Amino acid sequence: MPDLSVSDQPGYSLVITGAPYVSQAPASAYDFCQALLDSGHRVDLVFLYGDGVHLASALNTPPSDETDWTGRWQTLSREHRITPVVCIASALRRGLLNEEEARRYQKPAANLAEGFTIAGLGEWVEAVNRSERVVYFHGAA
Amino acid sequence: MADRDRTGTLLIVIDNPPYGDWRGREALDMALSMAAFDQPVALLFRGEGVNWLRVRQKGAAIHQKTVSRNLGAARMFGVADIFADQGAMARFGIDQTEPGAELINADADFYNRFREVIQP
Repeated sequence: MPDLSVSDQPGYSLVITGAPYVSQAPASAYDFCQALLDSGHRVDLVFLYGDGVHLASALNTPPSDETDWTGRWQTLSREHRITPVVCIASALRRGLLNEEEARRYQKPAANLAEGFTIAGLGEWVEAVNRSERVVYFHGAA
Repeated sequence: MADRDRTGTLLIVIDNPPYGDWRGREALDMALSMAAFDQPVALLFRGEGVNWLRVRQKGAAIHQKTVSRNLGAARMFGVADIFADQGAMARFGIDQTEPGAELINADADFYNRFREVIQP
């Protein structure tokens, strides 16, 4: 039996394109990510694209008897030192901005939740090349 | 088609029609950035997605950019090939495309030629 240490396990990247509270995508991706980490796999990138960027809004305020998906992802990310990356083009057109972009476009507020970062599709391109598997979580068609 | 090696190429599939939502545009953006980073990438239009290829679209009439114009940039950016599923083309009665697309039969043999197939 070969000894498979963590670094020998194939790395995964996750792409979330469905929004929370509209689709199951962020929830399925969360469970999948948790299962990967529990079994010692490496998670190279969590990339929010298209409607998936809504997960990173600091203003998401679900009712108290529903799951706080933004908060859950923040906790998971903090515990495992993963920083989910939000696609900048998808984010800006949907009104999701960090402080820098809010200043650049002279908008009255920024709303990117702590623990998420904004970057370009180049992150995804790199993940496709680096990760053994890239798994997509889509919203409803 | 048959004689070119595409085992290193990523295929991005667009199967929803243009203008109704932004999924297709954002799928195209993925293809363009792959190409911008010099990664081999191709596009396939299938199902209702073949409507992207219709000639003489006038997106301005519904306050949108005409998608065939965005698509026209794909080759310039280095997207190697644009494929269209011939069954879907026949179903929608499309016999001319803009930009030019290579008609193929989108079956398992076709998909197996690519490194990875992504349907954003």
